[in-house]
Amino acid sequence: MSEHKIKKGTIATKTASRSTIAHINVPPSQTWNYLRVNDISFDVPTPDAKGKVFAAVPRLFDAIETGGGTPLAHWIAEASGDGNYVEVPRFTSKGNPIVIEVGPGAASNTAIMVREGATANIVVVATAHEQEIPEASTPSDTSAALTRIFVEKNAHVKLTEVVATDESTQHLENVGIHVEDGATVDVRQYALGGSKVAYGIAVDLAGERSRFNLVMRYHVSGTSTLDVNHLCRQQGPHTRAEIYASGVLADSAHKALRETIDLVHGGKDSKGNEAETVLVTGDDVVNKTLPVILCDEEDVQGNHGATIGSISQEQLDYLATRGLSEQAAESLFVRAIFDDAIINAPESLSRNAAVARASLVLGSDVSHDLVEGLGIELTDERSAHAAQEREA
Amino acid sequence: MSDNTNKPLLSIRKLSAGTESKPILHDIDLDVFSGETHVLMGPNGAGKSTLGHVIMGDPVYKISHGSICFDGADITAEAADKRSLAGIFLSYQAPVEVPGVPLYSFLRTITQMRPELKTTARKFRTRVGEICEQLDMDQGFLTRELNVGFSGGEKKKVEMLQLLLLQPKLAILDETDSGLDVDALSVVSRGIEAYRKDCDGALLMITHNTRILERLDVDSTHVMVKGHLVAKGPASMIDDIDKNGFGQFEALLDKSEAANQGGEDA
Amino acid sequence: MSKTQVADIDRSIYDFTKSEAGYERYADGLTPDIVRAISKKKDEPEWMLDKRLEALETYQRLVMPKNWGPDISGLDMNHISTYVSPKTKQAKNWDDVPEDIKDTFERLGIPQAERESLAGVGAQYDSEIVYHNMREEMAKQGVVYTTIEDALHSDYEPIVKRYFGKLIPTDDHKFAALHYAVWSGGSFVYVPAGVKLSYPLQSYFRLNAQGAGQFEHTLIVTEDDTDLHFIEGCSAPKYYAANLHAGAVEIYVGNHAHMRYSTIENWSKNMYNLNTKRVTVGDDSKMEWVSGSFGSHVSYLYPTSIMAGDRSSVEFTGITFAGQNQDLDTGCKVVLQGSGTTASVETKSISKDGGINTFRSSVVIGKHADNARATVSCQSLMLDDISRSDTIPAMDVRNKSAQVGHEATIGRISDDTILYLMSRGCTEEEARTMVVNGFANPVSKELPLEYAVEMNNLIKLEMEGAIG
Repeated sequence: MSEHKIKKGTIATKTASRSTIAHINVPPSQTWNYLRVNDISFDVPTPDAKGKVFAAVPRLFDAIETGGGTPLAHWIAEASGDGNYVEVPRFTSKGNPIVIEVGPGAASNTAIMVREGATANIVVVATAHEQEIPEASTPSDTSAALTRIFVEKNAHVKLTEVVATDESTQHLENVGIHVEDGATVDVRQYALGGSKVAYGIAVDLAGERSRFNLVMRYHVSGTSTLDVNHLCRQQGPHTRAEIYASGVLADSAHKALRETIDLVHGGKDSKGNEAETVLVTGDDVVNKTLPVILCDEEDVQGNHGATIGSISQEQLDYLATRGLSEQAAESLFVRAIFDDAIINAPESLSRNAAVARASLVLGSDVSHDLVEGLGIELTDERSAHAAQEREA
Repeated sequence: MSDNTNKPLLSIRKLSAGTESKPILHDIDLDVFSGETHVLMGPNGAGKSTLGHVIMGDPVYKISHGSICFDGADITAEAADKRSLAGIFLSYQAPVEVPGVPLYSFLRTITQMRPELKTTARKFRTRVGEICEQLDMDQGFLTRELNVGFSGGEKKKVEMLQLLLLQPKLAILDETDSGLDVDALSVVSRGIEAYRKDCDGALLMITHNTRILERLDVDSTHVMVKGHLVAKGPASMIDDIDKNGFGQFEALLDKSEAANQGGEDA
Repeated sequence: MSKTQVADIDRSIYDFTKSEAGYERYADGLTPDIVRAISKKKDEPEWMLDKRLEALETYQRLVMPKNWGPDISGLDMNHISTYVSPKTKQAKNWDDVPEDIKDTFERLGIPQAERESLAGVGAQYDSEIVYHNMREEMAKQGVVYTTIEDALHSDYEPIVKRYFGKLIPTDDHKFAALHYAVWSGGSFVYVPAGVKLSYPLQSYFRLNAQGAGQFEHTLIVTEDDTDLHFIEGCSAPKYYAANLHAGAVEIYVGNHAHMRYSTIENWSKNMYNLNTKRVTVGDDSKMEWVSGSFGSHVSYLYPTSIMAGDRSSVEFTGITFAGQNQDLDTGCKVVLQGSGTTASVETKSISKDGGINTFRSSVVIGKHADNARATVSCQSLMLDDISRSDTIPAMDVRNKSAQVGHEATIGRISDDTILYLMSRGCTEEEARTMVVNGFANPVSKELPLEYAVEMNNLIKLEMEGAIG
């Protein structure tokens, strides 16, 4: 199966100047400012785009709201150079994933039009450095991807985002999706590493009977920061949204998760659910959550649930009867995040990135265990070689 | 079939236990030798499931009196995970859902921690494949989240899969609900057959439904009423229960309680 | 219950002239001289005057947040002094009281003298028998229940000085600063160690002189091993033409103590209610809030509980009903600092006739709050499709052994439920009222019976749309 790979741009080569993007990941309804959970700002390289003309994406995509917000979208567009436009023709379902890959120092701006009745499989991968570790405050310490998708009626989109950078890189992941009648969008997000990562997604369920499912898994350790904004506007009648985030916070991780379900007037018989579970294993973790439901319409249902802290007693007891102490159970939960990413990675780039990151976090024995145990092929030579060594 | 060494594999003496608020089991004595198959029956609410969970070390239950010895060691105070590593397996009536954990990752983790089962991923996969065939199970299960969205029959298969992977010395199968589910019944039968064939381990079957026992070679049958073990007998007792129910055993308990009226220690 | 007339309010306290020096800086009319005049009339100690003046400076400096909260542009910030002056704050006579207020009094069966008092046109009164008996009981046990002004002139002045203004900082928000500059009236309660009151103290019976319901400051201090239930407010609407309420409640709870603070707030529908309530709790104590918010045009109300000691618990039960022309932003804040502390929050919101209801909360668990537990449950009921209900809960957890559970639901009364009740003989309106009352039950069952009945009556009136 051949993949459709997207061009990326280099953020900046000549200049060492930096700028600040403020107000990233701002939710539509905010809380008290002293809690410092209303947004996040990033210190980023200033793109050297002066005097250059780049291919822009079609205007209509600029109107699509993104989770990271407009200031961020502008910066990524500038940093990416040429924008990419991809169209998936009506009623096609080739199954070739559209692959957007960025490494340290690269940015990508992609607009995807999924025509009526089509099926599209889209993958965004943020990889770690290959050889050299990027220096802090140089352009190669940042990667970014802006992906905006217009989903026409009855189309189906599957989006997988794998952020597998390491502690030397910060990453900005910004998505906006517009969904028309009867179309469905399934998103899986993996936050597996990165010194500071912003993950923003906004989905507009404009069409009736449109659906959005989002599952996010994250593992934050060391002194890393993960900042997330999930937003779903349920405008059309009979829409459905399910947002679920779960992860593990270790060491001195910092995490802020904002989830907003907006049940807009006119969206009759819409239902939105958000849920979060967090396992905290670190002594110096800062864990912030802002789960919001906005409601302007009577005939709707909005639900939210969050469980923060440790593994439930019921689960612990069950796992204990299979031989797992509480600590072993925690390790299993961490491993599960990476296994889940590897299982759900639709193609080799994302899979390799997840395996590479898993090797760093869990050790290569564990990281390759799933791959071999399930007979998944890795096209990366290094991994295949390492696998052979283990069999010997 | 039964390996009659001198000491029992599982030995329970004068065990009383219950939850924080309610005593359930009273004065239980039970011996199971390696390789034997025991059946524990009794009317609803007798406490049969509780016994299974207490042997496993479920922290919901507290032991107020008595002891449990397993494989030569006193495990009365041991936590459940230690008991599992020692070779006890309890299949759950309602297996707990653990979202986010792929079945494969779970199975791999619980086998890798046992030195006798530690192996390469490839070999593990082969073994799992064999078991899935025995249980008529699709390998696609391996990438699904543990028990999440599984039907009753599917959850049973996962329990049996674990049973056959872990090869415990003692398997406690709590099947008091299974009589209602034809699917689950056949899965469990298959699982037990494979278990007896592959591991020759001891089996404690908890049920009040006799159908599931039709194909078993039973060494001993025990009857529990209101938390007391009131009778013990050979396999033929099962037919008796099938025909006549538990009435006679309930009467036995009433008689012995009346005899013990006044001046007995709790 | 017989009532006695108490002396007319001395309104002259607020008859002041504009200040000359530095007038531009105080273009909104609220000058240091006004503040000094207030303090002088009350014959306050120097430290209180200093606090007022500092608060005035803070008030000038602070701005209200622009990125959240109901619109308060209806408040005339350029003439804030008019809110302070009683000449404009209350109706001159009964004829000036709005019709809908009078209607509500009628429907709730409030006696005429009380109506006048509530509307601020009559003289103050208190309910002689109940209140005076209460005073005797309390005096025996050493419980103090008086005004802060009186306390400042008594042996309890050092206690007031020790606690007043220490829990809610002057710069908490702009209207807290305003409050501290011009506060007037309110209760001072002191419960000595070991005293457990067997009956609740009710502020309703102390509608104070100085007509200062708007900026009243309540200070409650309980020592170790005490038990106190304080009830503030009542279901009858309070009417003020100068429609700003910026009150404050500070509560200090000792160790091994139990404190319950119940409120039904029903400000008239023209009011801007920016109320600040906060409690700090010692070890092994229990704090309970029961809160019903019905009135006011705009509300900002988030009772805050600081669990400073270990093993203490706080329970917050609240209901907010937002009807036509109301924008109510309410909720609660919990800070768990001590180990083994727990918090349980259960709130209900009802939105109707275009009302806007925002549930806003925060649960903050500090680094040292080992084994802290918090659960928050927030349910919102939409009664039509032109109203709004938003839930904005925030959590900030910094201890790994803490457990937090949170759930929120928004929805409407199901058609099945209405149908079922109607099939048993209820009219549709009765059915809906029944469901809403049932929805409000967790709150009403925490209130003393007569308040629960009043609350149910209020709900009934709101459902009928009888209250303007």
